[in-house]
Amino acid sequence: MIPGVRSEWIKLRTTAVPWVMTGIATLITGLSILLIFLNGASGNGNGNGNSAPAFSIVPQTTQQLRNLVGAGVGSYIFAMLLGTLMVTAEFRHKTVTTSFLVLPRRPQFVAAKLVTAAVVSVGMAVFLLAFTVIGGGIGLAADGGSFSALIRQVPAVAPGMLLVFALFGILGVGVGSLLTNQVAAIIVCLGWFLIVEQIIIGIWHGTSKWLPSGAASAAANVTRGRGMDYGLFSWWEGGLLILAYGLIIAAIGSAIMAQRDIT
Amino acid sequence: MPSAIEVHNLTKQFGPLRAVDDLSFEVAAGRVTGFLGPNGSGKTTTLRMLLGLVSITGGTATFGGRRYLELDHPCRHVGAVLEATSFHPSRRAEDHLKSVAVGAGIPITRVAETLELVGLTDVARRRVGKFSLGMRQRLQLATALLGEPEILILDEPSNGLDPQGIQWLRNFIRHQASLGHAVLVSSHLLSEMEETVDDVVIVSQGRLVLQTTLADLAQRAGTHTGLRIRSPELPRLIGILEAIPVGYRQMSPDTLVIDGGTPEWFGPLAAQHQIVLYGLANETGSLEEVFLTLTHGFDAADPGLAAASAGAQTGPGPSGPAPTPGVTP
Repeated sequence: MIPGVRSEWIKLRTTAVPWVMTGIATLITGLSILLIFLNGASGNGNGNGNSAPAFSIVPQTTQQLRNLVGAGVGSYIFAMLLGTLMVTAEFRHKTVTTSFLVLPRRPQFVAAKLVTAAVVSVGMAVFLLAFTVIGGGIGLAADGGSFSALIRQVPAVAPGMLLVFALFGILGVGVGSLLTNQVAAIIVCLGWFLIVEQIIIGIWHGTSKWLPSGAASAAANVTRGRGMDYGLFSWWEGGLLILAYGLIIAAIGSAIMAQRDIT
Repeated sequence: MPSAIEVHNLTKQFGPLRAVDDLSFEVAAGRVTGFLGPNGSGKTTTLRMLLGLVSITGGTATFGGRRYLELDHPCRHVGAVLEATSFHPSRRAEDHLKSVAVGAGIPITRVAETLELVGLTDVARRRVGKFSLGMRQRLQLATALLGEPEILILDEPSNGLDPQGIQWLRNFIRHQASLGHAVLVSSHLLSEMEETVDDVVIVSQGRLVLQTTLADLAQRAGTHTGLRIRSPELPRLIGILEAIPVGYRQMSPDTLVIDGGTPEWFGPLAAQHQIVLYGLANETGSLEEVFLTLTHGFDAADPGLAAASAGAQTGPGPSGPAPTPGVTP
């Protein structure tokens, strides 16, 4: 198992995939941070005309600071895409032949990718956290806020974010092993979150907590405590749900892959 | 000595197509075995079944009695260079080999050694997407050699190699056999393998035609002769030959070879029918011809007969061994 994971890590870091995925996730996280500050500023401008205290335009309450630290959490979809691409790229570039000669038991091949994707996705989450703390911290300090107050919220946000990224890396490998066609897999991943989930929620409101994004919101909430009940699962229920989705899909994918002729 | 590779009654069914049909052969250690047959005769499918890449419909394909899946460290026993295998274009040659070495539990020092062995040391840090076909083929070979395997499986390895590369590959393969390793190398051209192989396994339409030594095949070639005719009136000549009847093979629009014919027999015949001739030469049998006859003239219903009747005519016309009308070839 360990050699397989180390091999997967070499394969992954020697392509552009992890860097491009982290790059896009960072860009989107940067935009989220910007929005948080802009919303704060415009919210202040729409006030009742009284001169608002200067600190009200910057995130200041515990929840605002936690939202700022966790600005990258929505980018878990890039951890998922990373996991998907880890599998589909092997079929696209026909490197899977060599991979199967090295690891002829195909479920082992998928398992090595599941572990690697989880670890690398956690790395991506750590990077995004560092980025939001530094980027958000600078913005905060420039507006007269407290940098140390922001840092104090990291332990509250980080566990949920690392968990969600790891789980979606696993889910991504599952999807990739089931749908080995790269284009189809990417379309399904993006289409699911952008379109299919919205439609399902629109039709059956109660289902949202069972869907991956609902489960992700639940799982991200390890330590933050919820201000109100969104009708979601608890963090560990949500986490188990994503893990179950990922492992079930990966198991079906490996079973199909095990029967497949590599010609 | 036990066989390094054993294939017994191997069969593969792809939907309605039987790609490999009850194929059996063995590959001995310390020898180079040529796995020969026309394109589409099931060679690649057989090799991929051996390596666990394609599922087996029936029969067995083993290394020293164990399937590839059952080997503890497969890459340390069996090295394979397969067609249609590829590399990630943006990965560097060295990184590709590292990923394989690490995954297969092979010391990382072997990466530099194999790069040196195949002559790719200078381009180790180059991305494989920028490699020529020949360089990719060498990198594939380096991949196969990482684990210092005692069995090598090479599927059409000379594809994409320049003449120097092919010469290098021949020497390399002979060297592997001299170390006591078993080498199974497939090709659709016997001529390419003549100088390299000790044994031949000839297949056609997924079935075994013949397993023998190269020496035996050469002996068959020596007794197989014909007459090569070049003429602008080939259609008319074919009509005459079929009326006799006599076996022939058409080689090109203006050339055919009459099985067992001699100039003393054909000269008067051509004169009698006033056929214009551009060329007439005794055909000394070549290995390639035996090979072509064996694979094309192979009657799928009876491998034994087909193997025995090497030299049977393959052109349209009466079946059966070629008659040698009134002459001794």
